[in-house]
Amino acid sequence: MALDLGMPILVVDDYQTMVRIIRNLLKQLGFEDVDDASDGTSALAKLKQKRYGLVISDWNMEPMTGYELLRHVRADDGLRTTPFIMVTAESKTENVIAAKKAGVNNYIVKPFNAQTLKTKIEAVCGG
Amino acid sequence: MPASSRAQTLKAEMPPASFDAGYVVRELTAVADYIRHIKQEIGALQANELCRDRLPMAHEELGSVVKATASATHTIMEAAEDILGTDETSPDRYRERVETRMMQIFEACSFQDITGQRIAKVLEALGQLEKRLGRFATAVNARDATDTLDPEEALRHARREMLLLNGPQIEGRGVQQDDIDALFA
Repeated sequence: MALDLGMPILVVDDYQTMVRIIRNLLKQLGFEDVDDASDGTSALAKLKQKRYGLVISDWNMEPMTGYELLRHVRADDGLRTTPFIMVTAESKTENVIAAKKAGVNNYIVKPFNAQTLKTKIEAVCGG
Repeated sequence: MPASSRAQTLKAEMPPASFDAGYVVRELTAVADYIRHIKQEIGALQANELCRDRLPMAHEELGSVVKATASATHTIMEAAEDILGTDETSPDRYRERVETRMMQIFEACSFQDITGQRIAKVLEALGQLEKRLGRFATAVNARDATDTLDPEEALRHARREMLLLNGPQIEGRGVQQDDIDALFA
């Protein structure tokens, strides 16, 4: 199945430079419809207003972390199937296991490169 | 220590039944010596110098590092975005534009030299702090209290624990991307 380059993607990160990096990488991959949010709370509000084909989220944010956002998404009947990739500097095994148990579709450790992001999006969204 | 020699030690340390002025003087002298020793060690800690100079300096230097890295990142990204977004059709003008932007990227990378020096100053201050605190803790035989977290710090600690906010790991200690990939394969 080919990647749907028109699908809306929500990038969630409190560090604006990282949002900019991911936006640019997504643009290079051909994705044009990219929104961003600076924490889980604002991301959740956006997710309830628009149907996103993918969420790419950081873990460590305030007030709501990416891990909490993931659990909210998976507990919400309208959002539970939304593909969710965690992109984070949290690289302890317990973090990866917890995210997997909570239903994350893939997990990328920062720093990462464009190829890793591309591979994970393809794996999650069916490239 | 065998029970007999422990008993002898205890006996030697116990005050005699009758009042012994010499014993009291020796005890008070020992206490005074200990207080003098503690005062020396507190002085060696140079807490005022740490609070007045070194720690504010470390705070300021790290703040400058954050600002410099953010500024350099912004410059580099702006240049890269400009190169990627350029619709220059003339090869000469395109080359000129790319070269100009590349020079800006090189210039922006010079932040690393200065931030490296700033971080070295902070490391030196932390080294001093570690050395002095280590000496003080050994000298006074310090034991850590377990109930001294202020409520705000206790809340932050509980949040970190509950939400697994471990932060970046030292290189080589965190799980590798290949291992994660295997888990999600």
